[in-house]
Amino acid sequence: MHEEQQRVMMNEAVAKLTSVCWDKCVTSVPGSKFSSSEYSCLTHCAKRYADMSMIIIKSTQSKK
Amino acid sequence: MDFSSPSPGMSPGMGGGQSPEALMEQVQAQLAQAYAEELIETLRGKCFDKCITKPGSSLSSGESSCISRCVDRYMEATGIISRSLFTQKR
Repeated sequence: MHEEQQRVMMNEAVAKLTSVCWDKCVTSVPGSKFSSSEYSCLTHCAKRYADMSMIIIKSTQSKK
Repeated sequence: MDFSSPSPGMSPGMGGGQSPEALMEQVQAQLAQAYAEELIETLRGKCFDKCITKPGSSLSSGESSCISRCVDRYMEATGIISRSLFTQKR
């Protein structure tokens, strides 16, 4: 059951990040494939979001 | 020890006779269903946004093909995000 919960959390993270990164990176009408800049944006997006998340958590902790 | 009451985590009416495996299958099936519904709702929102800029009296062929590409691209994006989150690059 614990594994299942982890899987659920992972799937939710992917779903949420895909939504956020789609909005950020796919700015024009969808084509038959991604442009190289769209592709590049998407591959970096999740990691940058995670980096940002760390910064936010750290800065809110230091302000206690 | 009371063996007649349901184990913690099981709601009443779930059938005390169900094996853990069957229960897990049920849970996974319900989860898969929930994800499918959530994905479809997300696709509706994203593709309406991108493809149907001014709703007309019917769906044009341009709008239809845009929707189809939109779904393909979104599924592709899901894969890209998933891989970037879960592969370690050193």
